[in-house]
Amino acid sequence: MSWITVNRNEPAIDPNAPPILSAALCEKIRSLFPRYDTKRAVLLPALHMVQDGLGHIPWQAMKEIADILEIHPSDVIDTISFYTHFWTHPKGMKVITACRSVSCETMGGVAVLLELKKQLGIGEHETTPDGRFSLVTEECLAGCDHAPCLLINEKLHRCVKVEDVGRILADDNNDRISQKRSDLFDAPAGDSKSKDVSGLESTSDVAEMKASE
Amino acid sequence: MAAFEPVLLRNRGVEQSTTLKVYESRGGYQGVRKALKQTPDEVVEEVKNANLRGRGGAGFPAGVKWSFLPKDRTRTLLCVNADESEPPTFCNRILMETDPHQLIEGTIIAGFATQSQTAYIYLRVEFHEQFHIVQKAVEEAYAAGYLGKKIFGSEYSLDIYVHRGAGAYVCGEETGLIESLEGKRGWPRIKPPFPAVEGLFGQPTVVNNVETLSCLPHILERGAEWFTSIGPDHSAGPKLFCVSGPVKNPGCYEGPMTISVRDLIERNDLGGGMRDGKKVKCVLPGGVSMGALSVDELDMKLDFADPRNYGLLGLGTAAAVVIDESVDMRMVLQNLARFYGTESCGQCTQCREGTSWMYKIATRIASGAGRISDLDLLLETARNMGMMPGYSICGLPDGATYPIETIIKKFRPELEASINAQAPGKAEALFTVLN
Amino acid sequence: MAKIIIDGQEVECRDNIPVLQAAVDAGWDVPHYCYHPGLSIAASCRLCLMEMKMPHPQTKEMGWAPKLMPSCQTPAREGMEVRFATEKVQQNQKNCMEFFLLNHPLDCPVCDQAGECHLQDYSYKFGDPESRMVDQKLKNPKKDIGPNTLLYSDRCVMCTRCVRFTDEVSGTHELGLVNRGSRLEIDVFPGLPLDNPMQGNVVDICPVGCLLDKDFLFQRRVWELSTASSICPGCATGCAIRVDHADDKVYRLKPRYNPGINDWWMCDEGRYGFKYIEDSKRVTSPIVRRGLDATSPEWADIPEIVQFRFEQHVRENGGEKLAAVLSPFMSCEEGWLLIEFMRETAPECTLVMGPVPMEGDDQSFPVGATGDKVKFTILNEKCPNRRGVEMLLEAAGGNQCSFDEFVEKAGGGSFTAAWIVGGYPKEWVSKELNKATGKIDLLVVQDLLQNSLMTSAAFVFPACSWAEREGSFVNAGGQIQPFDWATNPPEGGRRDGQYLYEIAGYAGLYNGERVRKLMAAKIPAFKEIHEPPVRPVHAH
Ligand SMILES: Cc1cc2nc3c(=O)[nH]c(=O)nc-3n(C[C@H](O)[C@H](O)[C@H](O)COP(=O)(O)O)c2cc1C
Ligand code: SF4
Ligand code: SF4
Ligand code: SF4
Ligand code: FES
Ligand code: FES
Repeated sequence: MSWITVNRNEPAIDPNAPPILSAALCEKIRSLFPRYDTKRAVLLPALHMVQDGLGHIPWQAMKEIADILEIHPSDVIDTISFYTHFWTHPKGMKVITACRSVSCETMGGVAVLLELKKQLGIGEHETTPDGRFSLVTEECLAGCDHAPCLLINEKLHRCVKVEDVGRILADDNNDRISQKRSDLFDAPAGDSKSKDVSGLESTSDVAEMKASE
Repeated sequence: MAAFEPVLLRNRGVEQSTTLKVYESRGGYQGVRKALKQTPDEVVEEVKNANLRGRGGAGFPAGVKWSFLPKDRTRTLLCVNADESEPPTFCNRILMETDPHQLIEGTIIAGFATQSQTAYIYLRVEFHEQFHIVQKAVEEAYAAGYLGKKIFGSEYSLDIYVHRGAGAYVCGEETGLIESLEGKRGWPRIKPPFPAVEGLFGQPTVVNNVETLSCLPHILERGAEWFTSIGPDHSAGPKLFCVSGPVKNPGCYEGPMTISVRDLIERNDLGGGMRDGKKVKCVLPGGVSMGALSVDELDMKLDFADPRNYGLLGLGTAAAVVIDESVDMRMVLQNLARFYGTESCGQCTQCREGTSWMYKIATRIASGAGRISDLDLLLETARNMGMMPGYSICGLPDGATYPIETIIKKFRPELEASINAQAPGKAEALFTVLN
Repeated sequence: MAKIIIDGQEVECRDNIPVLQAAVDAGWDVPHYCYHPGLSIAASCRLCLMEMKMPHPQTKEMGWAPKLMPSCQTPAREGMEVRFATEKVQQNQKNCMEFFLLNHPLDCPVCDQAGECHLQDYSYKFGDPESRMVDQKLKNPKKDIGPNTLLYSDRCVMCTRCVRFTDEVSGTHELGLVNRGSRLEIDVFPGLPLDNPMQGNVVDICPVGCLLDKDFLFQRRVWELSTASSICPGCATGCAIRVDHADDKVYRLKPRYNPGINDWWMCDEGRYGFKYIEDSKRVTSPIVRRGLDATSPEWADIPEIVQFRFEQHVRENGGEKLAAVLSPFMSCEEGWLLIEFMRETAPECTLVMGPVPMEGDDQSFPVGATGDKVKFTILNEKCPNRRGVEMLLEAAGGNQCSFDEFVEKAGGGSFTAAWIVGGYPKEWVSKELNKATGKIDLLVVQDLLQNSLMTSAAFVFPACSWAEREGSFVNAGGQIQPFDWATNPPEGGRRDGQYLYEIAGYAGLYNGERVRKLMAAKIPAFKEIHEPPVRPVHAH
C-alpha cells in the first residue's frame, strides 16, 4: 500500500509574503458588497476580478480574498474547484476553449481540436512553452448555430474549419471582442511566464477522467 | 400558414438593436409602463391568464410560480436564469445579444409583479460579449431612470445586477443557481423549502428564464388574449426554436408551438433542409436532455405536450440538434454520457457515480471494446438515476436518463451491429487488461 | 408525540423528527450515510429513500406516491404512512451500494474501519455481492490533513458529514470539498490543516474508513476491542464516552450519545488524554512504612493496619489533628468511603477539597457562538468531579478548610495525620505542600503518579486511573453520571474503591452501584442518577 501521498500540513503560502492583491483590486471587490446580502456572494465576482488581473488565482490570493469576504480559505478553494473557469495555476496569455458538445463534435469539432493540438504542440489543459496559449475543452458554448466553436479568451470564433486554425492562431487580435467593455470586469490577463506549479487539477478535465480509466 | 410575425425576435437585424434608443423607437418599454399602472396582483393575473409556461425547460406556468410566494413576505428576490448551458441551446444568447432591453423590461415587469427589490441576472461566464451588451443595457436603463429608485415615476424601485457564473451546467438548475449566486459551489438544494419560500439569502425568490421574461413586455402590452391566440392552448405564445447540426440554415427561429421537428429542419424559412445531401438519422429535439428521435419520428410537434408521446422527457429548450447518417451513434452516446459525467455536481450518489460510470461504459463501447450486455447495463444505470423517481435532488440525471435510454432503444440494431463488428479477440483482450 | 405507520406497524415518535430517526429508534435498520442527528440535513446520499402515502394531486385520494422520498428529510407527522420493506426501496438501496462500491478500493484487509464500517455492513446487508463494473476505478490520494487525522480519499462516500461538522459544530471550517462529480474529494486548504480542539469527532462520524485517527492507526483490529461505558475525566463537562480496550490496554476513547451534555461529541483533549494510564511513573503497589522500614504488604492485610494506626494516632494525638484531602478526580463513591472512614475514626477531623486544576478559559463551539447557539463547551476546570466531592463535603459538615488553609495549617503543625488523595494526571504537588507535610507523622498518600510526598509517607496507595475504576462523577451541570471500569489496575495494584471499601469497614467486593445506593440512603442528593439513553442499534 502506498503511504500518504499528499501532505496538507505544509503551507502553500509564505506567511511573510507581501499581499498580491492591490489595494485598488480589494476596493473593487468591496465595492460590490452593497449588491448582495452576504459578503460571500461577492466570491464569484471577486474570483473573476482576480483571475482577470493576475491570470490565475494563486493560493495567496485565495487567502486574501477569504480575508476580505470574512470566510475560511477552504471555502474559497471549495468554490473555485467546483467551476471550470478558474485556474489555480498559471495559464497562457490566451485560453483557447474548444467546444466538445454534440453539435460541435458532429460538425467537425474533433478535427479542429486535433489540429489545435498539433499546431500548438500541447494537449488538453496544457500551456505552450512560450506561455502564449492554453488549451481546454468545455461543454456547449451556446454557439451551436455556428458549430464548431472556439473561444479565445472572450472572443467566440464561429464555424471554425481545420484550415482556419493556423490563421486564427496567427492573428494577434484573435481574442478581441467588438463590444465596448464594461468596466466592471477587466479583459482577462494571462500569466506572461506560465510555469505549471502544483495547483489543483481543474474539475471537468476530461483528459484526466480518461487517463484514469 | 400565414407568415408568423416575430415577437421576441422582432428587433433582430435592426441596426443597433441593443441600444435603448432603438428599442424604444420600436415600441419598447410600453408594456412595463402599462404594468406599473396596475397592481402587482393584476399583473400576476394577466400572466396567469396568458398561460406563459416557463421556457427554461420545465414548462411551469410563470404566473402560478409567482403566486407561491408567501403573502406576508417583506422581501423578494428575482433571479434571471441566463446560464443557458444545455447543449445545443442558444436562444437566450440570441435574445440577449439582439434585444437586451426586452429582457430588462421583462425583468422589471416580473420584479414588479413579484414585488422584488433586487434582480440578479445570472449569466454564464462563456457569454463574454453578451455580458458587455447586457451590462451596458442595464447601465443605460439606470441612466434613463428605468431602473433604480421609483422607476418610470412610479412608487416601484428595482435594482438589477448582472452576476457572472464560472462554468458549471448545474448552475442553470434554479437552486444550483441560487447557491452559486451566494458564492458557493453550485450544489442544488433539497426541496422543500422551495425557492419561492426560502431561496436566495433565505428570502422568497423567483427564478425565471431569459426567454420567459422576454415574453412579458408583449403580454402586458398586447394582453393575455393575444398571447394565448398564438399556438395551441397548452402551449401558448411565441417560442424560440434552435436548430443546429448539418442543416442548411442552423440558427434560432421564432414561431408558434405548432411546428414539428420536420418543419424545423426542412422548412425554407427555418432549417432549410439538410446540407450537402446528408440524411437525418437522429434528432435530439429539446436540448440533449430530453432524449432522441429516430428519423421516423420527425412529425413530433414542438410543444409542451407532444414530446411525451415519443418517449421524451418534454419540450425542454426546443433546441434541436440533427445528427446525420454518417455519425456513429456510439460516439453520440459517449459524448452525451461525458456531458453528464463531467457536469454532475456530485452530491447525490446515484448521479455522481451513475453518470461517470455511464461515461466509462460509453467510452469503452466507443473505443471498440463494448459488449452487448453493456447496452443493458447502460439502460439499467440510466433508470437508476433521476429526480422523477425520487433518486436524486435535481433533474440533471433525468436529463442523462432520457437521451441514453432513447438512443439505446431507438438505435439498438445499429449499436449492436457496431459492437459486434469489432473483432471479438480485441474486445476480450481489452477486458482482461481492464479487469 | 406523533403516531406514524412504518411498514404497517404503528410507531410512536416525537413530532417532526425525521421519519428516518423514528424508524431507526423503533428498530428498523434503514441504511443512511449523510444523515446525522447532530448535523443539518443534506439528503444527498439517497440511501434512506422510502415510499410514502400522499394525497393524489388531482383526486386527493391517499395512495402510495410513485416517487421515493428521503426519509431523513421528511418530518414525521401524525397519521403518515411510510414503508421501507418494498421492492422499490430495496432496489434503490441495492443500486446505491453498487454505486458506492464502483470506485471504492478493495482495502478492507488493511483498513482500520473494517469491522465497524457501514460500507461493509450495508453492502453485506443491502447490496449485491457481484460488481458489474469492468472498468478501472478512479484513484484518489491519501492525505495527511492534520496532526491527528488522515484522509483516505478513495474510501469516501461523500456524505459530507465531516464538512458539515467543521461548519456547524466546531465552527472552524477547515474541511471543504474540492472538484465536482465523481472527482469530488474532501480537502483542507494547504497549511490550514484540520486542527481544532474537536476535530477527532470527524473520525467518529465518518461512516467509512476515509477519515482515520492517526493515534489509533493500525493499532488493533476493532473486533478485538471490548468496550466499557465511561465518563471522560478530562474536564467538568463530563462527556459520556466509550473506552475501547483489549488485553488491559486502552486503545481509544469514543463519545457516547449524551443529550444535553456532550450530545454526540467529545473534545480531543479528552479523546487523547488517556495516555497517562501507561505512564512509567505510575505507582503500582502499596507501601507501608514504620520508621525507616518500608514493606509492601498483601492487600488483604492493609485495612487492618490502616485502621489500627489511625485509631492509635487519634488516641495519642486527638481527632482534631486528623485531616483528609479529597481529590476532584475521585469518584463520589470513593470520596464517600474515605469520608466515612475518617469521620468514623475521628468525627472532629478536618475535610479538605484538594486543588482544582484550572487551565485558561472555557472554550465554546461552534467557535464564536454564544447563548443558545453553543453546541459544545470544553470547561477550563480540568477535573471530572469537583461537584461530587463538594456535595459530599456539604453533606459531611463538621470541620473543613480550603486546600490553601490546609497547607498553611499543616505547615504550622496543626495536623499530625493526613490522608491526601491525588489522582491528577500531571505533577501536582507544590513545594509548600511538600514542606508542610514534613510535619505530619502519619501521612497517607493515595496517588497515581509517583510524587515527592511519597518518600516520607507512612502509607502509599496506588490510585487507579479512571479507566480502571468504577463509580460516578458529578459534572458542572450537577448531573451524577456513573462510569464502568474498562481495564484492570496495573500488576500489583487494586481499585481504589476496593481498598477504601475495606478500610471503611465493608467486606466483600466493591461495586459502584451498591455503594451509590448506600451513599444515597444517607445523602438524598445522590438519589438521582443521569444515564445517557441507549442509542438505537442502527444509528451511527
Ligand atoms: C440540470 C439543469 C439545468 C438547467 N439549466 C437551465 C438553464 O441553463 N437555463 C434555464 O433557464 N433553466 C435551466 N434549468 C431549469 C431551471 O431549473 C428552472 O426550471 C428555470 O430556470 C425556471 O425558469 P422558467 O420557469 O422561466 O422556465 C435547468 C434545470 C436543470 C435540472
Ligand atoms: S442530481 Fe446530480 S447534479 Fe443534481 S444535485 Fe444530485 S448530484 Fe448534483
Ligand atoms: S472503508 Fe469500509 S469498505 Fe472501505 S476499505 Fe475500509 S472497511 Fe473496507
Ligand atoms: S470523509 Fe467520511 S465523513 Fe467526510 S464525506 Fe467522506 S465519508 Fe463522509
Ligand atoms: S455544441 Fe458547441 S457551441 Fe453548442
Ligand atoms: S439521503 Fe437520507 S440519509 Fe442520506
